[in-house]
Amino acid sequence: MSTYVPTPEWIVLDWHDACVAAELLCIQRCSGCGRWRHPPRRFCPACQSDQTTFEPVTGNGSVLSFAVSHRSLDPGWQTHAPYATLLVELDEGPRLLAATTTPSGEIRIGQRLAVRTEALSEHFVLVWADLASHDEPTSMAPRARGNA
Amino acid sequence: MGTDLWGTTAIVGVGETDYVRGSDRHVCDLILDAAMEAITDAGLKPADINGIIPPPGYMSAEEIAAHLGVPDVTYHVSVLMGGASPTASLQTATMAIAGGLADNVLVCMGWNGYSALRPKPDARPTKRVMNLGPMGETVRNHYAPYGLMSAAQHYSLYLRLYVETFGIPEDAAAAVAIACRNHAQLNSKALMRGTPLSRADYDAAPFIAEPLRKFDCCVETDCATAVVVTSLERARDLVHPAVVYLGGAEGHPEPADEIANRANLLELGIHRAAPRAFARAGVSPHDIDVLEIYDCFTYVVLLQLEALGYAEPGGAPAFVADGNIELGGRFPLNTHGGLLSQGHCWGLNHVVEATRQLRGTADAQVTDAELALVTGYGDLGDGSVAILGRDR
Repeated sequence: MSTYVPTPEWIVLDWHDACVAAELLCIQRCSGCGRWRHPPRRFCPACQSDQTTFEPVTGNGSVLSFAVSHRSLDPGWQTHAPYATLLVELDEGPRLLAATTTPSGEIRIGQRLAVRTEALSEHFVLVWADLASHDEPTSMAPRARGNA
Repeated sequence: MGTDLWGTTAIVGVGETDYVRGSDRHVCDLILDAAMEAITDAGLKPADINGIIPPPGYMSAEEIAAHLGVPDVTYHVSVLMGGASPTASLQTATMAIAGGLADNVLVCMGWNGYSALRPKPDARPTKRVMNLGPMGETVRNHYAPYGLMSAAQHYSLYLRLYVETFGIPEDAAAAVAIACRNHAQLNSKALMRGTPLSRADYDAAPFIAEPLRKFDCCVETDCATAVVVTSLERARDLVHPAVVYLGGAEGHPEPADEIANRANLLELGIHRAAPRAFARAGVSPHDIDVLEIYDCFTYVVLLQLEALGYAEPGGAPAFVADGNIELGGRFPLNTHGGLLSQGHCWGLNHVVEATRQLRGTADAQVTDAELALVTGYGDLGDGSVAILGRDR
């Protein structure tokens, strides 16, 4: 869907590499205090440790907010306009953007979802979210594996 | 601490180019034209300038000094807060002057905001670009791959939350767009002078990124503006009535470099800057006569009015209704037309307009304006506030 694929560097590259290798969404976790954090940061804001791992998350979360774009500077995305982009809050706490194929009119703040990753290059994954139907229970199926 | 700073400096010179879609002039010429106009307006010569705050990108302080003929720069600094930069620069200029590092500080802004994307066929090409500051990495890595490249799309992420949290009606921001357009009809340099905006036009416009429709978005323009700041003592010997910088502040959301992981997506830099600025200036929101609010998007004006204390959270739509922000209302807002209808000069055009209001020389003059408030807003939510007053 996207025509633009970034070439990340530094700790953002480390994050993507972890996701590509695991074929799952991984999130940075502080080795000092166990807190999850995103986007990747050098020092833990709580305990100042710089020791971290990238660990798979459950992939479950909910819609915190979402943008609905009617115009895009990206030709690939423009063909799908209007399209929604989700601001996802993972059950582990961190938030990140996720793409979705669900029409914007069917999305609600607070709606449950499951994320999966799609490797767009050896060093970049795009995060997708599959939304639960509105009356589905909040506990979702096991996380989907990458490149589904 | 720091109370000696506020009220010790003044804006003494202003300059601005026309606001156009597609300039025949190179972006450096625009910046230098505005700079020279501001220096001349102050009754000064380039040799009197010894502090320079350049635009965020496009031209360095060194180049500006060399082209203007400024022989001895004693202090320069770049402020990189996106659209919050020019208004925040006033506090930086004041620190430099109060600290004795510079006497007369030139603050510049200028860009090819239209021609960078859509140059005229015969326009002189440029490789000069803006310094995106914190936006570059975040947008490139985290937002653009998801189809969110433009500012309107980034704001859409938290404006949805604003609308849904407070039940903001779909037409809440129309009054802001129309007030700015009405004021632009009175401003000799406004891009949208001669192009009025009706409520029907506003309602019929397509969405860009919800809830932002076309006329909720500011106008891309080529333009430049500049101001000269000096000590209040020196200002009293210059040509125009001094416009005193009574107080100002900057503020940043946490984290400042990305939107998604803020504890409260609707707590922005200006929420932190506003109380600091009012305390430093020793005035309250209801003392202000003219509001020049950074209006990259109409809904961002609503958020800022709430942060400044003009309305409770969710209450700004009522504040902007019933002509309250029109010329002749209690709080005339963006009396030059703002970014929405005069042109987008990163809010330094708001500082220029506030200065003219307090001199009593604005095209759309507010009667007996004594206090003006200016805000700046960076695309990831950085905020700046400046409170200006007539010399008493």
